[in-house]
Amino acid sequence: MNTIRSLYVASIKEFMRDRAAIIWTLAFPLIFIVLFGVIFNGNGGAPNYTVGLINQDNGPYGTALVSAFKKYAASFKFETGSLDAELNKLKQGQTDMVIVIPADTSQKIAQKQTATVQMYDDPSKGQSDSQIKQSIVQAVMQGFSDSLPGTVTPLALQTNSILTHKYTYVDFLVPGILAMALMQLGLFGTATPLVTLRQEQVLRRLGATPLPRWHLLASQVLMRLTIALVQTGLILALSVWVFKVQIQGSILAVLGLVVLGAVAFVSLGYLVAAISKTVDAANGITSAVNFPMMFLSGIFFPLAALPIFLTPIVRALPLTYLGDALRQVLTGGTPAFPIWLDLAVLAAWTLVCSLVAVRLFKWE
Amino acid sequence: MSNESWAIVAEDLRKTYGQTKAVDGISLKVAEGEIFGMLGPNGAGKSTTIEMIEGLRTADSGTITVLGLRQPRDARAIKMRIGIQLQTTALYPRLTVTELLDLFHTFYPGRTTIPTDQLIEMVDLGEKRTTRSKNLSGGQRQRLSVALALVNDADLVFLDEPTTGMDPQARRQLWDVIRDLQRRGKTILLTTHYLEEAEELCDRVAIIDHGRIIEMGSPEELVHRYFNEIAISFRDPAGGDAYRTLEGVTHVSTEDGRVTLYSSDVPHTMAGLLSQQNGGGVGTALRDLSVHNATLEDVFLKLTGRALRD
Repeated sequence: MNTIRSLYVASIKEFMRDRAAIIWTLAFPLIFIVLFGVIFNGNGGAPNYTVGLINQDNGPYGTALVSAFKKYAASFKFETGSLDAELNKLKQGQTDMVIVIPADTSQKIAQKQTATVQMYDDPSKGQSDSQIKQSIVQAVMQGFSDSLPGTVTPLALQTNSILTHKYTYVDFLVPGILAMALMQLGLFGTATPLVTLRQEQVLRRLGATPLPRWHLLASQVLMRLTIALVQTGLILALSVWVFKVQIQGSILAVLGLVVLGAVAFVSLGYLVAAISKTVDAANGITSAVNFPMMFLSGIFFPLAALPIFLTPIVRALPLTYLGDALRQVLTGGTPAFPIWLDLAVLAAWTLVCSLVAVRLFKWE
Repeated sequence: MSNESWAIVAEDLRKTYGQTKAVDGISLKVAEGEIFGMLGPNGAGKSTTIEMIEGLRTADSGTITVLGLRQPRDARAIKMRIGIQLQTTALYPRLTVTELLDLFHTFYPGRTTIPTDQLIEMVDLGEKRTTRSKNLSGGQRQRLSVALALVNDADLVFLDEPTTGMDPQARRQLWDVIRDLQRRGKTILLTTHYLEEAEELCDRVAIIDHGRIIEMGSPEELVHRYFNEIAISFRDPAGGDAYRTLEGVTHVSTEDGRVTLYSSDVPHTMAGLLSQQNGGGVGTALRDLSVHNATLEDVFLKLTGRALRD
């Protein structure tokens, strides 16, 4: 389609010649990665943890150790199941940790040998998070050991990561920043320019030609998808080369998610443009939408670090799901939600936003 | 004339915004090859009328035929064949003159368009071809927006105040472009704030006020319909009383030693004036003699009670 191509080229040129737009769209996310990746090394907060506690020991010490955990680890909520089931829950993000008291515990303690308790953890929720959990477990075990007679340390702790690679904060951060960049492309990169085109009567002038409106729409969406892919390329290049992030999933799956996310947020941008009469109004609305999304969607900090009363808001924000999906696919992070739910929520947002935008959008 | 010879036939157009009747029963026909002007104060309803004819707005009632096609049913086919210049057009600000014209060419697939270079030459933007549109002056932008309206070699061109913001030289140049379009058989519908422009260019004009056409005809017709006399003025310190009896003079006014005779028969009045001079009968020499018509401006003032540029 000649028209779509020429409009597409025109809008790309417009974008490339707008220095402010380039800085905000392309450089801003990179600056965030550098800033947070270098300065920040995790996050605080000791929320309530759900812990799978599995006692494979039939002797007295295993039972005693279970009671000790239940008594002293006050911030842990315990549940029991088979090892496979509990590890699976941990991988799904439904629990925070699995502790296994091995079958030979009582026997070894009785023989004055050291029994090793296994702890399974998901470091993708943040390193300090892991350290907090580990120190609580160790404190309980220490107290338990001290209550036993003898000089040999009866218990040791071995921590296991359920992830196959070392998961760093940057691994957590990069998918989030990518999601944020796509959101901002949809908001600042779509709503404001579109309202400007309408306010400056460019849309009106184009409407005075035989140009079908969907050609304009198609060229605009294609142009934004292009920018989204360039953004993705830059973000991934910086992450891989400078921060040594390992991309776990397939690049195709990542690109598929990027396209879905971009389409979802571009349609949100169209919705904002549809309800904004002026450029100022569009700027106000985009900022008002951008801010809570940036800080309540688990972009910089794990969702677990947020106070529980914010959960309904967190679950209402589409960026939560894009961030979660990208984190699962890109760096093999632990899901906050099943991937199908992430995809379904994004698809639903796209559908609802575009339907409402089509109904409300005024060309002049 | 048969229906095909009319570029525009609009019948009983009406458009109401809230309580305001923006267009209140306008009917007009524009012949093919004609330059037709719409004059009227701001808010008179001319823009709404033009935009309904262009297909940018829908009329509440009334019928519109453009180039034999029906509005709004054939809106896209009509847009393919007409050229529209809007009053305020900010375009993609960071595209250059050439890029914008090239872009607009692609909007008219299957139609023979005027090459960008030729368009640039027509509106004399040759030195600005690589300038981004936001860096053009007001007049240059105006010329670009006229060029954009001509891209598809339109059969019917709508120009909404095309020379606003142009210096006199640029304005005259655009007048040449418009006349040239007419020579090539195009029809032009224009609005203007400059009555001398209407007088210079238009075959016919419609004066619009309060959503209605209050007068329509060629500029000469209109002037003659409202002002039969022609003014002859000159200096004479002795005053004008001695000229009252000259043939054709209907009224004499004297102001600061300047005498103005309103004559319904200029040749006889002038002949009488000259023979008086030759006979040395009255006054001194006819200093600062001038003869001028009443203008469209006078007609406009008389009909609307307002000057056009208010």
